[in-house]
Amino acid sequence: MAILSIEAAPDESPRAEHAPAISAINVSKHYGPVSALEALTLDIRPGEVFGLLGPNGSGKTTFMRLLAGYLMPSAGRLVVAGHDVASDSLAVRRRIGYLPEAAPLYPQMRVGEFLTFMARLHGVAEQKVKGAVERVVERLALSAVVDKPTRALSRGYRQRTALAQALIHDPDILILDEPSNGLDPRQIIEMRWLIRSLAGRQTVLMSSHILSEVEKTCDRVAVLLDGRLLGVRATAETPDLEAWFLSLT
Amino acid sequence: MRTLRILFAKELNATLTSPIGYTVAAVFLLVLGYTFSLTLFATKIANLQYIFHQMYVLSILLVPVLTMRSFAEERRSETLELLLTAPIHETSIVLAKYAATLALVLGIFALSLVYAVILDRYGEPDWGQIYAGYLALVLHASLLVAVGLLMSSITESQVVAAALSIGTFLMLWFADSVSYLLWPPFDSLAINLSLIGHFKPMVSGSVFLSDICYFVTASMLALFLTTWSLAQR
Repeated sequence: MAILSIEAAPDESPRAEHAPAISAINVSKHYGPVSALEALTLDIRPGEVFGLLGPNGSGKTTFMRLLAGYLMPSAGRLVVAGHDVASDSLAVRRRIGYLPEAAPLYPQMRVGEFLTFMARLHGVAEQKVKGAVERVVERLALSAVVDKPTRALSRGYRQRTALAQALIHDPDILILDEPSNGLDPRQIIEMRWLIRSLAGRQTVLMSSHILSEVEKTCDRVAVLLDGRLLGVRATAETPDLEAWFLSLT
Repeated sequence: MRTLRILFAKELNATLTSPIGYTVAAVFLLVLGYTFSLTLFATKIANLQYIFHQMYVLSILLVPVLTMRSFAEERRSETLELLLTAPIHETSIVLAKYAATLALVLGIFALSLVYAVILDRYGEPDWGQIYAGYLALVLHASLLVAVGLLMSSITESQVVAAALSIGTFLMLWFADSVSYLLWPPFDSLAINLSLIGHFKPMVSGSVFLSDICYFVTASMLALFLTTWSLAQR
């Protein structure tokens, strides 16, 4: 069951029931001599909320940009929803919702206009666009700002609007780069509830600097440092996430 | 096609809500009006050649102002990340920006038709030459917009994009001057690259297929390179 009843783009690709939603096999990304990600191998299961932890420059954003098809890997293979990111990038992009770290919005557009534009861009059928916008506006409590220009939004509303565009086409996989950025404590709690409510129906990959948030939100956590994967743990089996994180980094 | 329409509408809206387009149009019309009045009173000849040459020069200086923000601004504000992670092909993004900017430039050019109407009312202009002149301007604008988009796609800075565009246009304009310094076959290559060399005959009323092919090929090459530049990531 999906949150939004949006007509999905036809996709006849094979999807094994228990195949990983995201599979990274020896993935590396280099910018000239600089290595942003080094031989990362990781599987993320369908329906789980997976957290990426690590300091700035550890490779979290690079990994997410690779999954979203914004960057291409220098080496290795990335499979998202059964599609290879390098060879079948469009099919991957149809199946994901992506919240970039900067929460970018078009300043000349109003919130409703922006969400309508993004829904159309993601292939939501024309007769369902209005309903899709109304549902994400309600879900993310954006009704107070729906007619406001995005340039006039507070940081919290910007973040929620950017998240709304990631959810608007009801994707199978959500990639959220620092979703709690700029939110106040109440909004952080609501964001956690929202992400938890998606678990099971959608696969969520999120990054965060806040250990306690990751602990409360995610089913499993991976720690990255200098582009390398240091470890993966289930949060339920890690009573002291902080100690584990410190021991790795 | 639906994606292209959606992106085109967004680009056109962004262009029409920005003061840049209106400023460029105002400067354009002010300079053209001055030139038209001056040449008409001085020569008393019902001819738009001066106006076409003026539009050629003005567009070289003003089109970069319209194209500079296309990709550079999206890259700076990181909205390009939204476009490039949506299920759309880079070609659609490039074509939408190209079509919207070209529509604006042609819209500004269309305002100059009032001069042709004035000449027709008070004189007997050669309409064949006027049609050829406007064809030259459409092709010229197409090339400038395509190259301007290419320059905007390779940098985050709007100023750098505009400077690169003007530099490229000036080099293309004066390419034939360099031919005297070159030896065969590079001298004829430089002559054939010249922007003014392909623009001038059309404005005089002589439409050659080779000139049309020059503008169309150069525009398509620039659009291809822009798409390729976006895909490199």
